Parts: sequence; C-alpha cells; structure tokens
Amino acid sequence: MKQSKDPFEAALEEQEESPPDSPVGEDELNSQTPNEPQNQTNGGHNLLVDDDDYDNIGPNIKNPSHPSSSSTPKLHSTSVNANVATRATTKNKEYEDEEEEENVEVELSKFPSSADPAKMAKMQAILSQFTENQMSRYESFRRSALQRSNMRRLLVSITGSQKISLPMTIVVCGIAKMFVGELVEKARIVMTERKESGPIRPCHIREAYRRLKLEGKVPKRSVQRLFR
Amino acid sequence: MSNPSAGASSKSKVGSSQPSETSFKRKRGVFQKDLQHMMYGFGDDPNPLPETVALVEDIVVEYVTDMAHKAQDIGSKRGKLSVDDFLYLIRKDLPKLNRCTELLSMQEELKQARKAFEVDEEKLGTLE
Repeated sequence: MKQSKDPFEAALEEQEESPPDSPVGEDELNSQTPNEPQNQTNGGHNLLVDDDDYDNIGPNIKNPSHPSSSSTPKLHSTSVNANVATRATTKNKEYEDEEEEENVEVELSKFPSSADPAKMAKMQAILSQFTENQMSRYESFRRSALQRSNMRRLLVSITGSQKISLPMTIVVCGIAKMFVGELVEKARIVMTERKESGPIRPCHIREAYRRLKLEGKVPKRSVQRLFR
Repeated sequence: MSNPSAGASSKSKVGSSQPSETSFKRKRGVFQKDLQHMMYGFGDDPNPLPETVALVEDIVVEYVTDMAHKAQDIGSKRGKLSVDDFLYLIRKDLPKLNRCTELLSMQEELKQARKAFEVDEEKLGTLE
C-alpha cells in the first residue's frame, strides 16, 4: 500500500507545479487513494481519456454556468465516486509499480493517452481557468458512464446470445454515451433557438432527436413499427 | 413525432415480443442514475427533469437496440457477433469511431499492465 503512494505523490508534485489554480488536484487524489477492488472490473470501462472530445466539448464548457446549488457538486462527486473509481495513467513505470494505481481516480490531474505534451499543456491551461461550476460539470462529464453490467444485460436480451465480449460492452457504452451527448447538446441548441432556459424538457429532446434523424445519425429501423 | 410519447408503453411490449431467452422485461430507470450525471456533464441542469431522463433512456435503449440488430445482421454473414461489427456501423461517425478505438486501446493497455503487475507480485511473493 505504501508503494502506491510514492509514484503517485511523485506525480502529484509534478502536477502541482503546473496549474496552481486547478481546484480539484490534491483533494481529488487524496480522497481517492483508498483502494476499491470491487470496481476493478470496471477498470477498462471508465477510462475517460478523450483528447478528441476535448475539442468537441470546448464550446460547451464555456456555457454560462447554470444556477446550481452548492450541494449538487458534492452529490455528484460522492455518488459518482461510488459508481466509478478507476482511471489509468499511461506512464508505464506507474503501471508496473502498483495495480492500485489504476483504481485511483486520477481524473483531472493527469491527461494521459496520446502523451502529447502540447495537447496536455493546452488542456492544463484551459482547466486551470475553470470556474467551480465549470469544473464540476466537467468532472461529471468525465466520470459519468453507463454501467457495463446493465449494458451487457441489455445486449444479451437484444441479441439473444450470451456471448457478449467485454470489448463489445465497452464500445457500446462509449457509443451510447456519445449519443447522449449529441442529444443533450442538440437539445440545448434547440432551447437557445426558442429562447427558453432552465432544465431541458422532453419536447427539446424530441426535437433534437428528430433533427439527428434527419442528419442520419440515428440508425433507421428496417422494419416498420406499425402498432405502437 | 409520436414515437417517444408512446415510448414508455411500447418499450415494454417490444421487450416481451423479443425472441430472447432471458426474461429481461424492460424495467424503468435502468440507466437513470448514470444518465442524470451524464446529462449534467453534457450541459443539462444539475438536476435534470425525471421525464427528460426517462425519455433519454428510452431513446438510448432504442438506439442501442437498433445498432445491435444491425450489427447482428452484419455479423451473421461472418459467423458470430464481434466488436468489429459495431465499429463498422459507426465508421462514418468520426468522433465516435476515434473514441471507440481509443477505449479499446486503453483497455488493451490496462490488460497488459495488470498482467505485468501480477508477474511483479509473484516475484515479490517468492522473494519474501
């Protein structure tokens, strides 16, 4: 157990130098060091490394913050902590040191994956300037995920076959999450067009879904559903 | 579009008419908790409306169902269903495709890392 802290703290110190204003850095890491072995199966699932998505969500993050109560960020973090607890860094030396490394929620202090220092630096710069609201929303964005077990059950019931491999579940969860993102973003666009505010209502979602259908992003049913 | 409005009842009908051996009657709110956080992350209110979440869940389940059926159609030609069938389906949608390849490669890395870790642990065990 002690070993896990060392490379991590080394990385943490390395982190502390860069964005001084990043609010989540240390607290996040310290609160996450308790190992959660039962979530290990979710390890691969919750790797929220998306350099590509950074660009996509850019404009979204800059949205004016919604009036959220102070209690909700905590609600998100605690319930999400229970839900998801794994995030891996790609620095290879840390992989070999401790498996618990992977169970620690590294979230925002590390941006592994392509290990592209330019992208990482850009991301750090952006993140350091986030308001608390934006940070909590970004945290929700990174950590949220559909449960793999539920997805697997759904896939089994759809295909009728028990042999749903793990990569397939992971892929479908990822695709579904991005689809939700498309829906919600389009619904927000619809709302601004109609000059409405507040929580998203079903009518916005339906309009967004209709537009996505027109764009061809929703697979069409080959069989007509006659009796709905 | 009248589909989502009848979505609630029709989903349960679809669930029971599916030729599946498992008795997965579409329960309400399977993904509800996760969806709430996800929608907040993507731009909704911190507390999304429950009817909105239910609608999004219905849409997502329908989306996954349609995708899975299409993937099955593709996969049946090859034999069995595989990941590549899904990847083929989203080939036109670049963000999704990139994201999926990223997820898969991360999963591979994790697998390798765990294997390496276990080997190390064995060595430690023998040393002690």
